[in-house]
Amino acid sequence: MNRRFQIGDRVTVKNATTMFHTRTQAFTRGKSGVIVEHRPDWVIPEDEAWGRDTPERGGRDEPFYVVRFKQKDLWPNYTGFDVDTLETEVAQRWLEPAKEDQQEGTP
Amino acid sequence: MSQTHEHDHEAHAPIQSASQISEFEVLEMAVRELAIEKGLFSAEDHRRFSEWAESIGPSGGSKLVARAWVDPAFKERLLADGTEACKEVGIDWLDPTGTGTPSDYTYFYVLENTPQVHNVIVCTLCSCYPRPVLGMSPDWYRTPHYRRRLVRWPREVLAEFGLHLGPDVEVRVHDSNQKSRFMVMPMRPEGTEGWTEEQLAAIVTRDTMIGVALPKADWTATSSPSAG
Repeated sequence: MNRRFQIGDRVTVKNATTMFHTRTQAFTRGKSGVIVEHRPDWVIPEDEAWGRDTPERGGRDEPFYVVRFKQKDLWPNYTGFDVDTLETEVAQRWLEPAKEDQQEGTP
Repeated sequence: MSQTHEHDHEAHAPIQSASQISEFEVLEMAVRELAIEKGLFSAEDHRRFSEWAESIGPSGGSKLVARAWVDPAFKERLLADGTEACKEVGIDWLDPTGTGTPSDYTYFYVLENTPQVHNVIVCTLCSCYPRPVLGMSPDWYRTPHYRRRLVRWPREVLAEFGLHLGPDVEVRVHDSNQKSRFMVMPMRPEGTEGWTEEQLAAIVTRDTMIGVALPKADWTATSSPSAG
């Protein structure tokens, strides 16, 4: 799969449901952040969980990214300071270009 | 004479196991027993592996940080490719299984603290931890209490560890939810000018590499807190 996002791009984690296994935390879904690092292509956990842990065994690999979120964008009434952030790795299928209306805190 | 004994079996409280065995522990035992029965490995192989894996400890991480403090070229290599730089202190993330055991994965990134950024690690989904360099995680690291609170109230949790950071310092939480493992490289503290790599390594304790503490010139994890 081609890499879709570049470092510095603003992205939103899809607010999707999962039928079984994922490692995309619920607290990041629907939230926007910025791509700060590229990771290699990895087999997605949604496949790994079923023993499809390599492409040869049917696991789908795709680009991963490190996404940095502002803590105040993740949590309503965040009690720390505006500078605080959280970083985590996200598979490409979970990301879409940032919806700018999200910046206003619309649900 | 009758062999029946007559003392009261209800005289003492029932002996209780310290903790209940979890479903995952039962599952691990079942899979292990099957593997032994099938000859994939022996019970002794398993015991040896566990004994080795549990003996690792955080000294490898301390060495990495101390060397980076005294050797800028090594620091550059460590930040660029953590897994590769580990080999320079004798840690091979692929040893002994070729698939990253005793970690579950082999992507390792070192997070450098600066006067502007303080890093701290957590795994909200389970207990991912850079075991080849830090050994087994502390019990508290694996509790839901730490995992769910660090991402939501990082400054409050750090304060519970005695660490207070000002509003000019960005607290950056790293939730290791996928295939990478992380370790914090703290800043070299004052009062350590001219120290050897070995002296420096002694003050780079486990907690400073998780990011819940800062190294101090007068503190090593092996000194008794009552000393001095």
